[in-house]
Amino acid sequence: MTTGFVEYRFSHLLKKPLRVSGQLEYRADGVMVRKVESPYQETTEATADQVRMTRAGKTTRTVSLQRAPQLRVLLGSFRALLEGRLQPLATDFELELREEAALWTLSLTPRDDKLRKYLARIEVFGRGGQPGCLEAVEPDGDGTLTLLGAPAPPATPPPSRAELERACRAGLPGPAT
Amino acid sequence: MKRRGWLLLGGWCVLLLAGVAWIESGLKVSADLRLFMPAPRTEEQRLLVQNIGESPASRLLLVALGNDEPATLAALSRSLSARLRQHPEFGLVANGDQAPLAIPEVLLPYRYLITDSFDAAPLDRVRLAAELEERAADMASPAASLLEEWLPRDPTLEMLHLANLWQPRAEPHQFDGVWFSADGRRALLLVETHAAAFDPDGQTLALDALRAEFQQLRGSSPATLTVSGSGYFSSVIKNRTQSEATWFGTAATLGMIALMWAAYRRFGFTLLGALPLLSAALAGLAVVAALFDSVHGITLAFGFTLIGVAQDYPIHLFSHLRPGQDPVITARRVWPPLATGVASTCIAYLAFLVSGVTGLAQLACLTVTGLAVAGLTTRFLLPRIVPPSERDPADSAPLARLDARIGRLPRPYFLLILVPLAAVAVLLLRPVGFWQNDLSKLTPVPTELLREDAALRREMATPDLRYLLVASGASEDAVLTRLEALDPSLSTAAAAGTIADYDHAARYLPSADLQRRRQAALPEATELRSALQETLAALPFENELFEPFVQDVAKARDLPPLTRAALSDTPLALRVASELFQREGHWYGLVSLFGVHDPAAMAALAAAHPGITFLDLKSASEQLVAAQRSYIILCLGVAALLLVVVIWIALRRWSRVLRVLAPMVLTTLVIIALLRACGVSLSLFHLVSLVLAAGLGLDYALFFEHAADDAAEQRRTLHALLVCSLSTLMVFALLALSTVPILQAIGITVSLGVISNFLLALLLTRERA
Repeated sequence: MTTGFVEYRFSHLLKKPLRVSGQLEYRADGVMVRKVESPYQETTEATADQVRMTRAGKTTRTVSLQRAPQLRVLLGSFRALLEGRLQPLATDFELELREEAALWTLSLTPRDDKLRKYLARIEVFGRGGQPGCLEAVEPDGDGTLTLLGAPAPPATPPPSRAELERACRAGLPGPAT
Repeated sequence: MKRRGWLLLGGWCVLLLAGVAWIESGLKVSADLRLFMPAPRTEEQRLLVQNIGESPASRLLLVALGNDEPATLAALSRSLSARLRQHPEFGLVANGDQAPLAIPEVLLPYRYLITDSFDAAPLDRVRLAAELEERAADMASPAASLLEEWLPRDPTLEMLHLANLWQPRAEPHQFDGVWFSADGRRALLLVETHAAAFDPDGQTLALDALRAEFQQLRGSSPATLTVSGSGYFSSVIKNRTQSEATWFGTAATLGMIALMWAAYRRFGFTLLGALPLLSAALAGLAVVAALFDSVHGITLAFGFTLIGVAQDYPIHLFSHLRPGQDPVITARRVWPPLATGVASTCIAYLAFLVSGVTGLAQLACLTVTGLAVAGLTTRFLLPRIVPPSERDPADSAPLARLDARIGRLPRPYFLLILVPLAAVAVLLLRPVGFWQNDLSKLTPVPTELLREDAALRREMATPDLRYLLVASGASEDAVLTRLEALDPSLSTAAAAGTIADYDHAARYLPSADLQRRRQAALPEATELRSALQETLAALPFENELFEPFVQDVAKARDLPPLTRAALSDTPLALRVASELFQREGHWYGLVSLFGVHDPAAMAALAAAHPGITFLDLKSASEQLVAAQRSYIILCLGVAALLLVVVIWIALRRWSRVLRVLAPMVLTTLVIIALLRACGVSLSLFHLVSLVLAAGLGLDYALFFEHAADDAAEQRRTLHALLVCSLSTLMVFALLALSTVPILQAIGITVSLGVISNFLLALLLTRERA
C-alpha cells in the first residue's frame, strides 16, 4: 500500500512552515516507510520496536521504541489507522467520529499524560472510505498537517495553515491545487 | 556432695554466668568470609580481597515476578521498585521504568565538558551549520514534537548523545514500560544491596525486606517472587548450614545424655560431665571476644566442634573413679596423660594461631583456651563436687570378658610398614587434585538455583562476577585519567567481541584535565553568536532561537571541573559511587565487564596500561588459598616437632614415645589415603579435622600407655576410652550425614579418625596385661 503525501510543519521555532513531500508505504511485513523526496531525501522505517532514519549523505540513526514510549504509541496508532482497526486505537486514545454526508472527521485525544505533553489531538479527515488529511495538534498550538494521496499543492506561494485546514475539512482536493 | 562441693559448684556457675554477660556485651559475630582469607601482602592481593563479595556485580540481586497477567506484573514491578528505592538496604533498583540516565538539570551546562562530540572537530562555524541543517530536517520528521522542547538549548543534541552513550548495550525486553523476560511471562528487576555478597545476615535482612514489600503489594494476586544472585546464595547456604547444625547439635546432645547414662547409671555424672565442656565454650568465647573485633560464624560453629573433644576429659575421670578412693586422688592419677594430651593438642592448634588467617587464628584461640580450661576444670573442680562412686568399672563382668578377648587378638605390627606403603601407593595412583582450592566448592549452591541464576542472567545482561579491571591511583582524578587512557582499548575490545560491554566511572565523569581541554576548545559567546547569525540566514529557524544554547556554552567555559562530590544526590551518583571509591587513603576505579569471551586478552590489555590490574577473582583467590596452605602446613610441621618434644618430656623413653605416636601417625595416613582413594580433594577444613583426629588418637594412646600392665587400671581405661570413642563417633557420624559439604567433610574425616585411632591404640599401644 503506497500513497503520496505532502506534509507541513508549523512551529513557533520556525520563521516559516516547513514543507516536505514524498511517499508513504505500509509494507506487507508490517514495516511503515516514510520516504521524503523533496526538498531532500530521507527514509524512515518503523518496525514494531524500532525506527530507523537514513538521510542522503548522512549517517543512519536508530531509535529503539522501548526507550521512546510516546513515539511507540504514536506509531502504533498510525499502524492501527492504516489497518482500519479501532480497538487498539481506543486503548490509547479517546475517539470521536463526526460525519457529514460523505465527509467524516475522526478525532483522537491521547489518554496518557506523558503523551499529552507532546500531543493535544490528532484529527483524521476523510471522504467515504479514504482518509485524506491528518492533522497532529500540539498543546502549544504547533502542529503537523499531512495531505494524503492528494496531488501536491505548489510550494509557492505557501498556503496558510487555516487554508489547509479548511480544505481538509471540506474534503480534498484542497486549495490551490 | 559436701557443703564445700555445693559452694564450689555455685561459685563456678556464677563465674560462668558472668562469662555469658561479658560475651554478650563484647562478641560481634561477623559473616565476612574474608576472615578466612590470608592477610593480603601485594597490591593485587589487596584488591582481590577487597573485591571478593563487594564488587557491584556481586551485590546485585536478580528478581523475577511471575505467575500472573503481564499487566498486573508490570504494575507490581513499578510499585515494588518504587518502594525498594526508599529502603536503606538497597542502592540502585532498576526495572526499566526509569528515564534513561541523564545529567541532572542543575548540572546541564556540564554536558559540554562531559561529551566527546567535539573532541575530534571543535564546535566551529562549519560544524554548527551542519548540525543546524540536520535539525531543520528533523523539524519535519515524525520526532519533531519530541525534539522541540530542548532544541533552543541543545541544538547539537548532546543530551540525547550522552543518554545513548550511557545506555547499556543490551537491555532486557520490555512490556508496558518495564523489563520482562523474552517469553513475556516474568517481570524482571535488578536490585543492588548495600550488604556485601558474603554477608549472609545483611543479605537475609535485605531479602526479608524485599519479600515483605512484595507480599504487601501483591494483595490478592497469585504472583510469585523469584530471587537469585550471589547474596541470595550466601543467605540460603547459611540458613541451611545453621538449620542442619542445630538439628545435629540437638541429636548429639540427646545421644550424649543417653550414652553417659548407660555408662555410669548416675544422673549426677551426666550433668557434671557437661561442666568442663560448658566452661570451655564460655572461656574460649570470652577470650576471642576480648582479642578480636568480630568473630566469624564459621569460627564459632567449627570451634565448638573442636572443643567437643573436651567431653572426653570428665569421662576419663569418671571411669577411673572407684569406691573408697577420694576423687581428688583419682584426678591426680589420670592427670599426667590428660595434661599431656591437652598440652599437645593445644600445641597443634597453636599452629593455626600464627597461620596469618584471621578466622583460623580465632579458631585456635577459642580451641586452645577452651581445651585448657576444660582440662583444668576436670582436674581441679570436678573431683571436689562429684558424688562418691558406688562401683568400679574394673569389676564389670562384660568388660572383663571383652578385655580378655582383646588380649587374645594378634598385635598387627606389620601395619607400621603396610599403612605407609598403601598410603604412598594411593597418592601415586591419584596424583592430581590432592588439594581443594576452590572455597566455593565447600558451600556449593544447589544446581536448580544455579540454573535459575543462569537463566535470569541471560535475560538481564549483568556484569561478569569473575573478571574485573581495577584502576588505582593516589587521587580520584588520577584514577579517572587512567580509566580514560584505558577506554579506547576497551572500546576496541567490545567492538572485536572480546567482551560484550563494559562500564566505568570515567564514562560519566571525565578527568579534570580532559574537562579543562574541552572547556578551552569551546567557542566564546560572541564568536558563537556571530556563527549562529550567519548560519541562520539560510535556515528556517527563528533568529534569536538559540540564545539558551549560547548561554549554556558560555557557562560551561567558566565552570570548575565536575567532581564525584558534585554529583551527590543525582541519579549519576549511585552509578559513580559504586565504580569509583576511596579505601585506606587510596582511590580505586572498577571496570565492570560484561560477557568476557577472552579473559587472557583482557589480562594482556590491563598489563599494557599502567595502574590497571586485571582481577580473576576465582583463580587469584585459589592461588592465595594454596599459597597460604603451604605456610599452614609448615606451621603444622613445626607444631608436630614441638608435640614430640612435649610427649618426650612426659614419657622420657623413646620406646614409649613411639608407641604413643604410632596410632596417630598411622591414622592420619589411613584417613588421607581413604579420602584420596575415594577421589576427595582435601580442603582447609579437612586439615583442621585431621588435627582434631590426631589429638584424639594421642589421647587414646596416652591413656592406654599410662595404664601400663595393671589389669584393673587397664579395664578402667578401656571403659573410659570406649565411652569416649563411642560418644565422639556418634557426634561426627551424625555430621557425616550432613548435606552441607563443610559439615560432611569434618564428619567423615573425624569418624574415620576415631575408629582407626581407637583400634590402633588398642592393638599397638596397649600392653598385654
